[in-house]
Amino acid sequence: MTTDKYNVTEEDPGYGDGPVMDIEDHEYDEIKELDNPPPGWIMAVFYLTIGISILYGAYYFWLRVGDQQEAEYAKSVEKARLKYQKEQPAGELTLLTDAASLAAGKDIYTAMNCATCHGQNAEGNVIGPNLTDNYWLHGCKFEEVFNLVKNGFPTKGMTAFKAQLPDEKIRQVASYVISLKGSNPTGGKAPQGDPCE
Amino acid sequence: MEIQKFYYDNKIVRQFIWATIVWGVVGIIVGLLIALQLAFPVFNLDLSLTSFGRMRPLHTNAIIFAFVGNAIFAGVYYSLQKLLKTRMFNDTLSAINFWGWQLIILLAALSLTLGFTTGKEYAELEWPIDILIAIVWIVFGWNMIGTILVRRVKHIYAAIWWYLATFLGIAMLHVVNSFELPISLFKSYSIYAGAQDAVVQWWYGHNAVAFFLTTPFLGLMYYYLPKAVNRPIYSYKLSIIHFWSLIFLYMWAGPHHLLYQSLPEWAQALGTTFSVMLIAPSWGGMINGFLTLRGAWDKVRDSAALKFFVVALTAYGMATFEGPMMSLKNVNSITHFTDWTIAHVHIAGMGWNGGLTFGMLYWLIPVLFKTKLYSQKLANTHFWIATLAILLYAIPLYWSAVTQWLMWREYTPEGFLAYPNFMETLTQILPMYSIRIIGGTLFLIGFLLMVYNLVKTMTSGVCVANEAAEAPALEKLGPLNPRTETVHRWLERKGIQFSIVAFVVLAIGGAVQIIPMIFIKSNVPTLKTVTPYTPLELAGRDIYIREGCYTCHSQMVRPFRWETDRYGEYSKIGEFVYDHPYQWGSRRTGPDLGRAGNPVGPMYKNTSWHFNHFMDPQKMNEKSIMPKYAWLMVRGIDTSVIPRKIRAMQTLGVPYAEGYDAKALTDMEAQAKKIAEELKTAGIEVKPDREIIAIIAYIHKLGRDISPAAVPAPAATEKSNK
Ligand code: HEC
Ligand code: HEC
Repeated sequence: MTTDKYNVTEEDPGYGDGPVMDIEDHEYDEIKELDNPPPGWIMAVFYLTIGISILYGAYYFWLRVGDQQEAEYAKSVEKARLKYQKEQPAGELTLLTDAASLAAGKDIYTAMNCATCHGQNAEGNVIGPNLTDNYWLHGCKFEEVFNLVKNGFPTKGMTAFKAQLPDEKIRQVASYVISLKGSNPTGGKAPQGDPCE
Repeated sequence: MEIQKFYYDNKIVRQFIWATIVWGVVGIIVGLLIALQLAFPVFNLDLSLTSFGRMRPLHTNAIIFAFVGNAIFAGVYYSLQKLLKTRMFNDTLSAINFWGWQLIILLAALSLTLGFTTGKEYAELEWPIDILIAIVWIVFGWNMIGTILVRRVKHIYAAIWWYLATFLGIAMLHVVNSFELPISLFKSYSIYAGAQDAVVQWWYGHNAVAFFLTTPFLGLMYYYLPKAVNRPIYSYKLSIIHFWSLIFLYMWAGPHHLLYQSLPEWAQALGTTFSVMLIAPSWGGMINGFLTLRGAWDKVRDSAALKFFVVALTAYGMATFEGPMMSLKNVNSITHFTDWTIAHVHIAGMGWNGGLTFGMLYWLIPVLFKTKLYSQKLANTHFWIATLAILLYAIPLYWSAVTQWLMWREYTPEGFLAYPNFMETLTQILPMYSIRIIGGTLFLIGFLLMVYNLVKTMTSGVCVANEAAEAPALEKLGPLNPRTETVHRWLERKGIQFSIVAFVVLAIGGAVQIIPMIFIKSNVPTLKTVTPYTPLELAGRDIYIREGCYTCHSQMVRPFRWETDRYGEYSKIGEFVYDHPYQWGSRRTGPDLGRAGNPVGPMYKNTSWHFNHFMDPQKMNEKSIMPKYAWLMVRGIDTSVIPRKIRAMQTLGVPYAEGYDAKALTDMEAQAKKIAEELKTAGIEVKPDREIIAIIAYIHKLGRDISPAAVPAPAATEKSNK
């Protein structure tokens, strides 16, 4: 093969598949450059990715078929609401006293790290109050304890757990906390709030 | 034709080789240290100087700019002289390049350890060092272009195109990203804020990967691979196509680091599409490399250098396919903020940059010292150890990424997060961090074997500092002759014109994103409720930056249900307009903090919790891997700079009232006193001038402004004890 631009000689140094095109004057510090065309498939990939990119742009910005991220988020939230409405029956919200539920409550107390603020045995620490005494800051009735764990009191440092625990689990951990009354753990923090009853 | 005599400067090559080796060892050891810290927090040594947030930038900077940087200079200074048949343009410039760069590295190591940082990933160095970098980098480019102009070879070879793109690209990126307003010798604020800062920073970050870790190495590959295997480069046309397409497209792709974040959708789409279009141009280099090796695979079997080149090309091909995949928004939701990205960069860094550097050194040092490699066997051992190390490093992290992502987004059948406690998702992946340590240790062992082997090789030969050579003088080059040469061929003999064209091609991608982000208001919709930081919060923010908290914490809640359920409302562009620099983070080793100050959100903790947590995170969560920050209790807030900080912020457009700098200290003391009193009611005695007060104030600012009026939940306000 010859062109006016390069004086191309065809030669096969015996290691390749097919002809190898040498270009005159393309030698740098003994590195030769050959004039093979780029493999067809890589060029195909190149054009394909350009095509995909144009379609991508059109899909989101010109035809506006694709949802932008805020719309996508709103849809996913709505879908979840519809789905879980059915699966979150209101259930009964009363004090539990059976051993299995209290054990479950204890596990939740551990898993949710209540201990970092209330101590390993709910004895209280510098952050949160003692939960085992008869004194309560926010009321000692079951619904009051339940609501406090559910909605928290963030400005005073008690986390709201409603986004993290379903009502049933809040019921278990609240019942567990109430069951601790009088357990008298060592190092119990001085009472805060008002005595119950 | 006149034959001219000249001398190659081998001494400068040898100097850069030594620097590569020394900084390589240092960089890997620091890497190993931070890997240990993530698995076992005791390795933070409870010291500010050695804590993770400071060591991590030290590791990345040492590997990228010290180890890889010196390897680039070594490879370029050797091959440029050979390819152009001339000595480097000017020995003084060469010396300034070498000693200047080493000085930068020392200053960087010192300042990062001491906590002087801009808080922008991969661009952490403070402004005096930034200026030094710019000067030394321009010296490098000047020396290189000077050498091109005094060459004895008609055309400049493909390798040098890549070197030129490297010089031009980095110069542009570094200068634009480093615009910052100094308030002292050690502290400056990025002139960009929030989303704008993020766009500029990742235009820089992504293209530092391109023009520091990719283009120079493609150049080195185009020289050292055909030299080592003694085969011709497969396709000149492919060289041209993939060179121009790669340098053009790369500059557009930066926003793929900001997908699903607070960035206009059009900018994100540029990130996605231009990354996808980069597959073929990137692979062009790998293909040209592999096809250059064809028919020579028997040589690969015997030579460690060639084996490293093969690993390098393979890793390059993998990483440049993986990158575009990670730029698809749905894939990115897995890979971003998890360990996936860490695995990805180590495939590229250890495989491609490491492999190519090792291959180059194994080939170059015997040539330079006119001897044989001390032990081919040892080099092969290094090869196998290094390959195993890369696998042992990357596979556990891919595993950890997917595991943690699945746990973050898992819901119970009732529709609650299955792992609402962030720690559960972290404890699950800690064993993977231990395996990674084995990978890192092996990599270090392999590296040390190489050092031994290379030192033995060097001592068995001699490197002639000024090596005599001769070549015919360059005949006068005429204007473009369309009958005998293509335009590109003409460009190849015009160093200056080539550089100008490359510069224009490079500049487009950045301009298209940065200019609209800064000048078109609708791209950054503001929020009325967002107020500037109080002086105390600003001081706290600077401590956050100094301690490198952004290396573990994000401040960017993405619009996914599984993130908003865990952290709170997703982040909005308008929240960040006063953030100089932005602190969105890139890895969520700890939980997102963007909503830590929303008093009705799930993330809120009170002052005493934060106090105890900063003093000893392991006391709060036994398995926490956050370092202890006890020195925040010892160090006082630097009040002398507060008025200057306020004035600097005003200069940058933060709307503090006229003359607020004079009142700032009073406000700061009042707010600090309030926090100290709050702590006192919890039985914690702390002076209000301590840094820990400022950082708590800052944490409580995060997300507070967009929280729906901070009213306590009604159930908790009434009580009926009696
Ligand atoms: C971040 C720290 C923190 C965590 C975690 C935490 N609490 Fe609390 N909790 C507090 C604080 C602080 C108070 C006191 C609020 C006040 O002073 O009004 C409190 C109060 C309470 C009260 C009311 C006590 C009273 O005297 O009325 C109950 C019950 C309670 N927490 C249960 C729990 C349970 C159950 C968990 C785990 C699911 C938990 N807490 C997790 C900090 C915490
Ligand atoms: C080595 C990584 C790492 C570094 C560095 C780090 N953290 Fe953390 N951080 C964590 C982890 C892991 C957790 C979760 C466990 C815990 O609460 O300790 C966490 C938790 C937190 C929390 C509690 C979040 C919540 O509400 O549960 C805050 C606040 C925090 N970090 C702030 C900081 C600040 C400020 C800095 C810098 C001074 C910092 N962190 C540095 C890893 C880190």
